[in-house]
Amino acid sequence: MSEERPEGLEERLTHEIASEFQAELDHPLDEADWARIKQEVKARLRAELARRKAEAERATPKEAEEYFVRFSLNVRAQHFVLAVGVLLLIFTGLPIKFHESVWAKYFFHVISLELSRLLHRVGASLLIGVGIWHMLYLLTTEGRREFRELLPRPKDLFDFLQNIKYLLGLSHERPKFGRFSYIEKFDYWAVYWGMVIMIGSGLLLWFHNLALGLFPKYVLDIAREAHSDEALLATLAIVIWHWYNAHFNPSVFPMSTTIFTGKISKKRMMEEHPLEYEQVMASSPPAPLPAEGEEKAEAEQP
Amino acid sequence: MKRLIVLLGIMGSLIVSSWPSFSQRDPNARCLLECHGKPDFKREVVPGQFKSLYVDYEQLKVSVHKEKLCVDCHTDVTAIPHQRRPEQIHCLQCHYQGNVVGAPVRERPEKYKESVHGKAFERGDPNAPDCKSCHTVHAVRPPTDPLSPVYKANIPKTCGGCHIEIYTEYVESVHGQALRNNVLESAVCSDCHREHDLFPPDDPRSSLHPQNVANTCARCHSDVKIMERRGVPVKQVEAFKKSFHGIAIEFGILKSANCTSCHGYHKILSSRDPRSPIHPLNLAQTCGQCHPNASDNVARGRFHIIPSDPEAGIVFWVSQFFKWLTISVLIGLFLHIAIDLYGRFRRAGGTSHE
Repeated sequence: MSEERPEGLEERLTHEIASEFQAELDHPLDEADWARIKQEVKARLRAELARRKAEAERATPKEAEEYFVRFSLNVRAQHFVLAVGVLLLIFTGLPIKFHESVWAKYFFHVISLELSRLLHRVGASLLIGVGIWHMLYLLTTEGRREFRELLPRPKDLFDFLQNIKYLLGLSHERPKFGRFSYIEKFDYWAVYWGMVIMIGSGLLLWFHNLALGLFPKYVLDIAREAHSDEALLATLAIVIWHWYNAHFNPSVFPMSTTIFTGKISKKRMMEEHPLEYEQVMASSPPAPLPAEGEEKAEAEQP
Repeated sequence: MKRLIVLLGIMGSLIVSSWPSFSQRDPNARCLLECHGKPDFKREVVPGQFKSLYVDYEQLKVSVHKEKLCVDCHTDVTAIPHQRRPEQIHCLQCHYQGNVVGAPVRERPEKYKESVHGKAFERGDPNAPDCKSCHTVHAVRPPTDPLSPVYKANIPKTCGGCHIEIYTEYVESVHGQALRNNVLESAVCSDCHREHDLFPPDDPRSSLHPQNVANTCARCHSDVKIMERRGVPVKQVEAFKKSFHGIAIEFGILKSANCTSCHGYHKILSSRDPRSPIHPLNLAQTCGQCHPNASDNVARGRFHIIPSDPEAGIVFWVSQFFKWLTISVLIGLFLHIAIDLYGRFRRAGGTSHE
């Protein structure tokens, strides 16, 4: 079945409706009649286009959608350990910061401070572990390549300004992001700041008996304050900023599975990382068959 | 007949001059006249050993019980002179909550039965104090009366009657010294140990249970008026509760330090006193009780700091840095999210999405 183009469809509909109207009326069509006809055409046209769109979507099964591999298994595993560690640290750390609150009292009533302390140190070990893991990862070819992509560049500043303009409607041009947008780069580098503060101060507090022999008391006081304050900043940044940009924003709400499956749809790839998309398409000609590769493989539907 | 009258008159004047504190019409006169009013009235407990049964009626007449009759308390005395030895009376006959005779029950004296003293008394410990050990027998005066053994300034001596060693420690302490200088708001035994509900420190009901120590000290040390008058910092308890020690105690790690772990208890001394465990030169040893590597480093820094208070020194500045960092970063992030949402919905609701 060959679908007619919307312009042709509009013409045909106008014709049909006009003759329907004429059949019911005993006088020639006047201006008021034409206005009603136009409205009717608009409504039918909209319904017809919506129907066609839904049909087209049904015709493309989800599994056959084109996707790219955005994150390697190594990166996904790192993120997973980091996420578990950080959540564990937040859950067992915040009740200490807000120990006067009712929920903190309830929390410690249920799991006891001793167990909470132990879990906090498990979380800390995961955090330190993934930190070391990431440093080693940066020595690998893949790690070095990803790191280069994550380095801040002047383009990020321009992208940021352009994006604000675009979002405010001051410009129609959307910034073209590469593999990592300035938002993702900010998240990546913010983790360095957080890791240095939290692990540094956390180790002093964990091994306070050792630290007391080495440093003046005020160093531990500073460590405690910094640990507590940076913890809140990091928690808010993750829960509000990171989760919004990665999961809660309207285009992927309620969550994006990319960081867990590694897959990103072609549509999102083109929208969110157009430069990377262009690069990938330029460097590797579209494979005719579903290819299984480590990086940026494509699964073409037949 | 005339001689008889003269004799009676002499006798009468003798009676009046020797027992001037009660009249024949005094309802207690019958107890006093022949027996308990006589200073040498006594009973032989064991052969050769006597117990005085004299009652200093003048003392009774200025006591809180001046309106009472002897038999109001000695209720088993139904005939005078009594044939049997009266039972020991108990103050709780009247001083229980809800009594109808109007006996004051300010501190719930029945708690005494649960206290260390009450338990010891129940076990039959001959040294265990009961009500009269502190309040005396017939000369009970209100705690506001400077002559009362439970008047604040007299309490250390009253308790010290049995707890002699602790008394000698206490008088050297800042609290003991202040009390000697007539500072009545200084802490005495009962301010920390309580009066009637006096429990051992491992009892959770005790005011000196590790989880309650800070609040016990806070009764005075968080009182701005008292502390300002004495020139003592007032935020120490609040700071302790925010510290790791305070939080650990709050949630049940009782081995964590409380006020007394560092400051001592009966012999609390100023940090300027070289004998004090919190004197800078002694801090390494004091902290070392729990923290094995504690060195003189522990004296380098302020104690009892509240990060939001400028007195916290460098910690205050660290806290300020993070406060403003957090505020400015979050304003930025929120703005970006708001602009992002605005942009997305504006374009979605607009003409078409390219």
